[in-house]
Amino acid sequence: MDYAVETFSLTKIFSDWWGRAKVYAVDDLNLQIRTNEVFGLLGPNGSGKTTTIKMLLGLLHPTKGKCLMLGGDGSDPKINARIGFLPEESYLYRYLNARETLDFYGRLFKLPAKVRKMRIEALLDMVGLKAVANRSVGTYSKGMARRIGLAQALINDPELLILDEPTTGLDPIGTRQIKDLIIKLAQRGKTILLCSHLLADVEDVCDRIAILYGGKIQTQGQVRDLLQQTNKRQITTDVISDATVEKIKKLIHAENAEFEITSPMDRLESFFIRTVETAQRQAQSTSGAVSTTKISDFLEKDAKVESILDKLVSSPVVEESPEKVITTEKVEAGKSDIPEPNKQLLSELTGSKATSRIDKTPKEELTEKVEAGEANQEEKINRDILNRLVSSPESQEKKERQAGGDGDE
Amino acid sequence: MNSIWAVAKNTIKQALRMKIAVVFIILLLALLPVLGVSTTGDETIKGRLQTFISYGLSLTSFLLCLLTIAISIYTVTNDIKEKQIFTIITKPIRRFEFLTGKLLGVILLDMLLLVIFSIIIYSIAVYMPKFYQVNSVELAQAKTEFFTARAALVIPQQDFTEQARERFNKLKAEDALPENMSPAEVIREINNQMQVLSRAADIGDGIEWEFENVKPLADSIFIRFKYEVLQETPDSRIYSRWVVGDPHSVRTGEPGKTPVFVQDYRHTTETFHEIEIPSEVIPESGKLAVVFYNYPSNDTVVMFPKDGMEVLFKADNFTMNFIRSVILILSRLVFLTCLGILTSTFLSFPVAILLCLVLFVTASFSGFVLESFDFLSRNVGILYTYTLKWIVQILPEFDKYNPTKFLVPARLLSWSFVGQCILFMVCIKSFLLLVLAFLIFTYREIAKIVV
Repeated sequence: MDYAVETFSLTKIFSDWWGRAKVYAVDDLNLQIRTNEVFGLLGPNGSGKTTTIKMLLGLLHPTKGKCLMLGGDGSDPKINARIGFLPEESYLYRYLNARETLDFYGRLFKLPAKVRKMRIEALLDMVGLKAVANRSVGTYSKGMARRIGLAQALINDPELLILDEPTTGLDPIGTRQIKDLIIKLAQRGKTILLCSHLLADVEDVCDRIAILYGGKIQTQGQVRDLLQQTNKRQITTDVISDATVEKIKKLIHAENAEFEITSPMDRLESFFIRTVETAQRQAQSTSGAVSTTKISDFLEKDAKVESILDKLVSSPVVEESPEKVITTEKVEAGKSDIPEPNKQLLSELTGSKATSRIDKTPKEELTEKVEAGEANQEEKINRDILNRLVSSPESQEKKERQAGGDGDE
Repeated sequence: MNSIWAVAKNTIKQALRMKIAVVFIILLLALLPVLGVSTTGDETIKGRLQTFISYGLSLTSFLLCLLTIAISIYTVTNDIKEKQIFTIITKPIRRFEFLTGKLLGVILLDMLLLVIFSIIIYSIAVYMPKFYQVNSVELAQAKTEFFTARAALVIPQQDFTEQARERFNKLKAEDALPENMSPAEVIREINNQMQVLSRAADIGDGIEWEFENVKPLADSIFIRFKYEVLQETPDSRIYSRWVVGDPHSVRTGEPGKTPVFVQDYRHTTETFHEIEIPSEVIPESGKLAVVFYNYPSNDTVVMFPKDGMEVLFKADNFTMNFIRSVILILSRLVFLTCLGILTSTFLSFPVAILLCLVLFVTASFSGFVLESFDFLSRNVGILYTYTLKWIVQILPEFDKYNPTKFLVPARLLSWSFVGQCILFMVCIKSFLLLVLAFLIFTYREIAKIVV
C-alpha cells in the first residue's frame, strides 16, 4: 500500500553538551499515514509530536531510523514542492505585509507570476485577511498570524499538508473554519497530518489518530473504533409525551438494562457561532456607521470568510465529480464508512452555509432558529461571490489541480 | 534563481525596514557634508581635499564594514532564532540557495549604499575648490597633486646578502664577531646596515638613482622624498642640489637631446616634500637619472628612508582612481559578508558579531599583526607557525588594500592591483568561506537550538 508518510523505527535522542543521551524525544516510532486520510497525532506537551514533524521535514536529523514523505526524503526540494507545512507558531517576517508574505512564499515555489497573483488573492480571501492585506504582519493578532500561516501552507496546492497545532490562538469561528477546510481538503484528495493536543479538533476531523507519550505510540486506530462505546446505545428523539417514555422504560427494564433520560445539550461551539452570527446580522442591518468600527469590521470579514472558504474549497469538488468519485472510492475501500459520520458531524456543527452544498437537511434546522429570511438572503450573496470567483481565475487553477491529480493516479 | 532572488529581495527589505541600515545611512549622510566643511588640513585646498578624502572614505568604508557584518549575521541568525527558516527551507529551496540569496541581498545593498556615498564624497571633493574660491596657484597645486593619479617609481631594493656574508667571514676571521648573536642575526644586521648606507649621502657627497619606464601623461613629474639626518642641523633644514635628466648627460655633463634640470633647495627634515620637474627632461628611452647632492654646509649625513624617495608622474585621472578605490572597498565588503554568513551558520548573533569584529580588526591591521607575531614567534616556534600564523594569513590584508593610501597622495591605483585584490580577497578567500558556510549549513540541524 502507498503511504503518504511512513517512518521506520524513527528515533531522536537529544544529548547534552558532552554527548550523553538526555532525552528520548521520539522512540522507535513506526507510523504509516495513508494517502488521502486525515491523520491526527495526539499527545501531551513534550510527547514528541513536533520533533517527529521536524524529522519528517528534515529540520532535525533522526538519531536512528528513517522517514519518508510522499515516498521521498523530506529535505528533497522535489518533495518539498508537494508539501504544505504550518509550524506550531506562525513564524513570519514582521515587516512584510500579508500580500508580500504570500508572494515571498509563492516565489520560493517558483510559481509563475500569474498563478502566484491569483492564488494570493484567493487565499487572502479565504483566510479573511484581504481587508488588512497591506498591513505588516507584525501588527497582526495571533489568530490573524495563524491564518496567514495557513495561507502560506496552501499556496502550492500541496498533496500533503502538515499542520502543527493549526487552531492555537484562533477564535472559535476561525477554529471552525480551519476544521471545515481540513475536511474539504481531504475530500479533494489531500492527505493531512494534524498535530494537536486540542482533542475536540482532532475528534471532529480526523479519520485515524495515534496517541504519543514519551516518544512512543501508545495507541492508534480509527477515531470511530476507538471512541465508540459498543456496550452502550443512545436514542435521540423529538419531544415525546411522558406516557411514551414510561412505555420505553418498561421495555428497557424487560431487558434488564440501566438507562437515563435528559434533554441533549447543544455544543458550546455551535452556540457561540450562532450567537456571533446573530450579532453580526443585527450590526449590518442597523447602519453603515457601525461597520467602520473595529469590531464590526472584524466580524464582517469573518462572515465573508466562511462563505468564500466554502465556495473555494467545495465548488471544484462538485464540478470535478467524476474524477472525485474514483478517488474517494479507492480510499473508502480501505477504511470503512468514515466520511459519512464526518459529514454529519460537520453539518451539525457549522450550521447554515458551510454545509449547504454537502448535505441539505441538518442545516435548515439551525438557521431557522436564527432567522429564515435573512439566511436566504445571505445565501444569495454568497452565490454571487462564488460566481465571481469561479468565473474568472478559478477555472484556470482548477485545470492545474486536475493536472496535478492526474499525476498522482 | 527565482527563489534565490526572492530571498535576496527579502533580505534587502529586512535590512531597510528593520532600520538597521537606516541608522548607518543617516549617520553617514549627516557626517559627510560636515566633514567636507570642517576638515582644514594644512589650510591649502590640497590639504583640505586630502583630509576630506581620507576621513570621508575611511569613515564610509568603516561604517559600511560594520553594517555589512551586522546585517549579514543578523539576517541569517534572526531567521533561525525567530524560526522563519522553518517555513523557508521546507519549501523547494536548497539550503545553499537560501544562503546565496542572503549573500546576494547583502551585497546588493552594500553596492547600492557604496554607490550613493561614493557619489556624495566625489561630488563634495570636486565641488570643494569652488566652494572655498581658492586662488589659481592653490587650484593648480590641487590639480597636479590631488586630482590626478600618479604612478610611482621607488628606489629598487638592493640585495646585499652576498656582501654581508663576505663581511661576516672577514669578521669571523678577525674574531671580531659580536657576542650573544647567532650567525644569521649578524648577517641580517650587516645586511640592514648596508641597505641604510646605500640610501645615505655623506657630507659634501651625493647619491644617484636611475629609473626606467618614466612615461608621464602630463607636463610635469614629481620627486617625492623625506630626509633623515644623523645630526640635527641648526635650522632643521637641509641645503641640497637636485639634478634630473638623461642619465648620460647627468653623468658626463655633455648636453644631450633633452635639457637637464638643476636646482638648489632648502627643505626641512623628517617630512615629505615634492619637487616639480618639467617632463621635457625625460629622454625618449624613458630612463631618468636623479642625483641628490648633500652640501657640506649641512654638516651631517643625509639618509632617505626605505619609502623616502620616489619619482611620481601622472598615469591616469582622479575619477578612474576613485572608481578603483571604491572597488577595493567593495571587495572588502564582499569578504565581510561571506565571513558574516559563515559565522552565522553555526554561531548565535552576539558570538558571531564578536568573532567577526575581532577578525575585522585583525584584518585591518594584518601587516602589524603578522609582524608582531613573527617577532614573538622566534620564541614560540612550530606551534605558532602551524596554527595562528596560518589563520592570520588566511585573513585578507585590508591595510594593504586601503584605498586612502592611494587617493591622499594621488597615487595610481592600477587595475592590476585591484585585480590582485579581487583575486585574493573575493575569488579565493571569500569563496572558501562561502563553501565552508554551505557545507556547515547543509548538514546542520536547523531546528536545533544553538546557544
